[in-house]
Amino acid sequence: MQPMRPFLHLTGRNMFAAVMEHRPQLIKSAAAGDADSFATLIEPLLDPAYRLAAVMLADRSSAEDAVQEASIKAWRKLRQLRGDLSSLRPWFLSIVANECRMARRQRWWSVLKMAEVPPAELAPEGGGSDLRRALLKLSPEERLPLVLHFYLDLPLDEVAVALRVSPSAAKSRIYRAAKRLRSDLTLEEVF
Amino acid sequence: MSNENFRRELGHVFDDMTGSPSGALSDRVRSSLAEAPEQRGPFWIAGVAAAVIAAVLIAVLFVGNPLNRPGNTIGPGAGASPTPSATVAPTPDSNLPAFVCGTSTSLVPKTASTPPPLAYVSAVRTGTHPGYDRLTIEFVGGQWSSIDVSPQSGTTFTNSPMGDQVTLSGKNGILVIIHGADMHTSYAGPGDVKTGYATLVEVRGLEDFEGVVQLGMGVSGGACYRAFILTDPARLVIDVQAG
Repeated sequence: MQPMRPFLHLTGRNMFAAVMEHRPQLIKSAAAGDADSFATLIEPLLDPAYRLAAVMLADRSSAEDAVQEASIKAWRKLRQLRGDLSSLRPWFLSIVANECRMARRQRWWSVLKMAEVPPAELAPEGGGSDLRRALLKLSPEERLPLVLHFYLDLPLDEVAVALRVSPSAAKSRIYRAAKRLRSDLTLEEVF
Repeated sequence: MSNENFRRELGHVFDDMTGSPSGALSDRVRSSLAEAPEQRGPFWIAGVAAAVIAAVLIAVLFVGNPLNRPGNTIGPGAGASPTPSATVAPTPDSNLPAFVCGTSTSLVPKTASTPPPLAYVSAVRTGTHPGYDRLTIEFVGGQWSSIDVSPQSGTTFTNSPMGDQVTLSGKNGILVIIHGADMHTSYAGPGDVKTGYATLVEVRGLEDFEGVVQLGMGVSGGACYRAFILTDPARLVIDVQAG
């Protein structure tokens, strides 16, 4: 059993486990058009979705907007899941990530500004750690696999679904981004 | 640093970056889901409706066109496949010169000036109309200095400057020589097009060298034509009389 990691969001994780027990009924109701069932189904995913969006957009308010919009899109695309409930989490996170990309494109000017100058709320006070400074230098697309793998603790196959790439490509993207944070990282240290 | 330490430190950094979502996020999402129409059905219906409307429009345009005339557009970026020509507005026949047979036509700009920059051919289009087929050559940039249009027997032309001969489809030909122009600065279309029309059957580039552009036209009939200039944009128009 893996040791408990202090930064994992236990409330969300426990809630997700609880929802997973009832998901066959929920997904059935949601597929039949019950929005409330769908809301219950994705409720434990809102916290990781928000964190993913906050990292990609570097703006907390925009992150909540993106999650809200992604939830509506997921609701309308529920049929895409084809009953594969094990893919619910990476599928939903991939929609969130895509919504973040769209949000960045729609306000490309502010994204450019953010890419060059970290916003005050994200900027490290007193310089911050080396790791933090290195992370802030990564592009949102580079941060995405790191968030999914190291922060949201998704297994490699779910990272692949969320990134919409093969597992080997997902592994490569995680390792490449991690190496940009710490050049001396070995593959064994990452996975 | 071990994997666990790296993961832990990275997690702390991400935690600092993101903070926690507001307590209202869940309610916001639930509320927006309740208000959002489930559009899967309407999307599907809209798709079918769009397809039906598109089919009806195409049918109306195709059947309703009294001339049922095809056209070829050769322009920058255009492929070799024929597409309907729509950029040349019909010109009232009463305003056009009469068709001539067996005689050459020279066109010169109305205003002479100091040697102008070259006119760049930007598009070559063909179209078919009642009583004639049309070749339109569009220009951008400067001003051509003269244009000679000469009918000929047979469809054999000389490529320049190579000097080799090329034979076009059709029975007779019309040679178009444009001085003070080039066809490689603003034109990226094909150099040869077979129109499939009854009268003007082929147009082919013969020369694009040192400010001279030559085009050969292969026609099925007697190569009676009229040539004139239209403006805004600058166009050379050559109508080949049918039959």
